[in-house]
Amino acid sequence: MKYAIRALGWTTTILWILIILFSGTVVYSAMQIRMNFEEEPEVTPSNNALTMSIPFSINNGGLYDISELNITTLIVAENETSISHSTSLVPLIPKTSEVNKTHDISLSLDDIMAKNLTHMFLNDTDLKVDMFVALTYAHAIPLRISSNLTMPWGAPLYNLAVAGISIDSPDQVNVSLSFENHAVFSLNGTIRLEIVDSNNQTHSGTTDIFVLSEDSYDKAIPVTMEGVPGDRVEVHLYFNEMYLKSWTLVMTID
Amino acid sequence: MFLKKMIPKVLKATVMGLLWFFLLYSLPTLLLSELVEEVLPGYAQLLSTFAIVIVFFVVVGELLAGTIFQYAFNIGKALVFMAFFIYALNGGSVAFDLEMVHIEADLRVYLAMLLSIDFLGLAKSLLQAIDFAAEKTEHQLAI
Repeated sequence: MKYAIRALGWTTTILWILIILFSGTVVYSAMQIRMNFEEEPEVTPSNNALTMSIPFSINNGGLYDISELNITTLIVAENETSISHSTSLVPLIPKTSEVNKTHDISLSLDDIMAKNLTHMFLNDTDLKVDMFVALTYAHAIPLRISSNLTMPWGAPLYNLAVAGISIDSPDQVNVSLSFENHAVFSLNGTIRLEIVDSNNQTHSGTTDIFVLSEDSYDKAIPVTMEGVPGDRVEVHLYFNEMYLKSWTLVMTID
Repeated sequence: MFLKKMIPKVLKATVMGLLWFFLLYSLPTLLLSELVEEVLPGYAQLLSTFAIVIVFFVVVGELLAGTIFQYAFNIGKALVFMAFFIYALNGGSVAFDLEMVHIEADLRVYLAMLLSIDFLGLAKSLLQAIDFAAEKTEHQLAI
């Protein structure tokens, strides 16, 4: 029994020393990790979606590997409607090494339309960004880091107004259209404007638009009239633009 | 006779108690005070409690050295440590907030390591108690 007691005594002593060393080195190593998000994010258009690429680097200067790093961002509009879910995976960041990667956040404007959030095209708002980072440190300690941020959303057609209809000639009117592009992207395409009058007659005109980000648009669209329009009219705006593809807006004008 | 026996024990217990207090409280407080206060403010209290519990068991263990109560206290110490580790690590799931960031650490593997060592310590103390009792009985039979 004496040998067993001695063996257990030595084992516990050695294991205590190892666990104290492990604890100390884990804390020290965790403090040697450097995350860098200093590079400017790049916004690129792609197939009716906006992709924001956020470059980041992780310098694991510690004594243990970082494995199964998973970065997830969830963009939530008002009413807790999720409009973007993006994930980046880094399988392994070995000790004393650096990894450079890009986290792509994709925001589909089709999704915004499908989720009935088209008011985001007309009004600036704040989007909630939920960020989750999951990783396993030293192959033994899973960590989950989460943070909530607010991201301003600039509407591409902020303050959209059909200001007035002026009669240019008996068969043509000019409809004044104005808006400010608060979005991070430029608008480039065509707008078809249809006037549906109270007699159910449709009169239309088309114009090209190119509005840079943070620029405003204020032009008159010539509309060819078929017959005499009624008093109450509806204006239908058909956007054929890279982002606002096939979007129709109906406005009523007295 | 009693004093002659007890004075070295008390002295040894005092020295050991002070040494353990320095190792488990003064030194970590000196090295990690800022980190603990900023990141894990609740853990400063736990650290001092842990140091007090260890010092208590070390002092009592030294005072009761050479009796079966020393081993009984060692068994108690192992059990108290197990409960303490489970409580301090919240069953292996530790969460804290650092400014705008919420951090959750799954320390179940780490807790399992600590509990395994404590189990070994518990087994050792049990064996020591049995061995001590067996030796005492043998000694009495021999007389």
